[in-house]
Amino acid sequence: MNLKECYVKLGGDFDEVMGRLPREQLIIKFLYKFLDDKSLELFESSMSNQNYDEALRAVHTLKGICQNLAFTRLYESSSQITAALKANDYHKAMEMAPQLSKDYYQVIHAVEEYKETMEG
Amino acid sequence: MGKQKILIVDDSEMNRALLIDILENQYDVVEAENGVQAVNILAERRTEFCLILLDIMMPEMDGFGVLTYINKQHWNEKIAVIMISADDSPANMKRAYDLGAFDYISRPFDATIVRRRIENTMFLYARQRDLEKTIEEQFYEQEKNNKLMILILSHIVEFRNGESGTHVLRVNMITEYLLKQLLQHTDRYPMSKSDIALICTASSLHDIGKISISGDILNKPGRLTPEEFEIIKTHSAIGAKILLDLPVEQFDSPFVKVAFEICRWHHERYDGKGYPDGLKGEEIPIAAQVVALADVYDALTSERCYKKAYSHEEALEMILEGKCGVFNPLLLQCLKEISDILEDLLVDATREREIKKVLDVKDTIDYDRCFHDKNQNMQINQQGYMQLLYVD
Repeated sequence: MNLKECYVKLGGDFDEVMGRLPREQLIIKFLYKFLDDKSLELFESSMSNQNYDEALRAVHTLKGICQNLAFTRLYESSSQITAALKANDYHKAMEMAPQLSKDYYQVIHAVEEYKETMEG
Repeated sequence: MGKQKILIVDDSEMNRALLIDILENQYDVVEAENGVQAVNILAERRTEFCLILLDIMMPEMDGFGVLTYINKQHWNEKIAVIMISADDSPANMKRAYDLGAFDYISRPFDATIVRRRIENTMFLYARQRDLEKTIEEQFYEQEKNNKLMILILSHIVEFRNGESGTHVLRVNMITEYLLKQLLQHTDRYPMSKSDIALICTASSLHDIGKISISGDILNKPGRLTPEEFEIIKTHSAIGAKILLDLPVEQFDSPFVKVAFEICRWHHERYDGKGYPDGLKGEEIPIAAQVVALADVYDALTSERCYKKAYSHEEALEMILEGKCGVFNPLLLQCLKEISDILEDLLVDATREREIKKVLDVKDTIDYDRCFHDKNQNMQINQQGYMQLLYVD
């Protein structure tokens, strides 16, 4: 699996990110970093604690990362939840949370698979 | 020269890391995780930084909070703030600009564009700093030359008087101290810093009228005859006339107007017993009142070819007792309050004189000639104070 295939699998735009960031190595470094990112965890625990400010910050951060790494699909769902929380529409945010989780793990699995290919 | 330093303020470690990767070859980068950290770093060492990359949504203190703080402290006059938020809604962008942000970089980051925008911003700030410095230097250079010209002019006058030119300098300094002290007591005489500077510079011209008094009278070592005294007294009106005869457009400048007041009225006294016009109290412009007092103090504490130098205490006492005419009571209070400063000035002046005596043999001879009849000081009675001061 090469990097481009990884991007197809995670629902991202490889050409877009390659156009913005100077080296493939840099993109790979941040893909691996994403595996340790705690934004989704923080979002989910904050939602269940009804700490919506914290939840907003977490999903907003996730959205920013997705923009920078061109995770198109995850960007869409994180963006929608950000908008919902900003509008204090907690119900809608709650409804969309499973989709966010699904998109998130799609990215995680794709990156893990890529990492195994490279290291294996 | 080391690399320029950038402060990245973002709560997302990944975002900071990405920016660092984009920037670290060109710049030194320091990170802050939230607004409070950023403000603390800036409070301690803001002079190190040229630029701040600032996220908006952060815990503790958000980007707007940081911007507000920076703006309030006027730090953004020297450091450019570029927003790097993932939230690029027009409302947020406007709010950031209103709070003093210089630019707004939206995500996703394009490495080349981020670098270029930072470079351009830094270039602009650097160019502005350079321009400010150049203007400041030119301003001071010009000020210096203006002052120099005026000093040379007044030195010419004093030169005929057998004096060294330090009288003008000291009157200048004493005038400044008196005016500043005066402003602490009252707002009766509204004055800006530049007004004070104007009066002080103009004070250098107070005796230009002496240019038309014969050297024989100016340098006469003994007491003056009543006729000679009357001639000397014309110097204030003559000085004013010299300025009045300037072309209209020059006379209309604030500097010449103040200089005119000082020339004509620096021998007026608060009780109306001065000359040439016998103005009384606040009829005498404040600039002339202050220079008059500075002039008298310096004349008393300086050596002249017709008198010894009085000590600081003696001079102060003579002035406060009204032996040199009546002055504005508020100004006398100011004089008392700056007494310590005046005494220090005098010590410096005396030391300089001593050094000069040692270094310049010719000067010593001049002094000797001037003071060959030291006993004459003893002969000066109280009436004499008035006369010698009118001469100065």
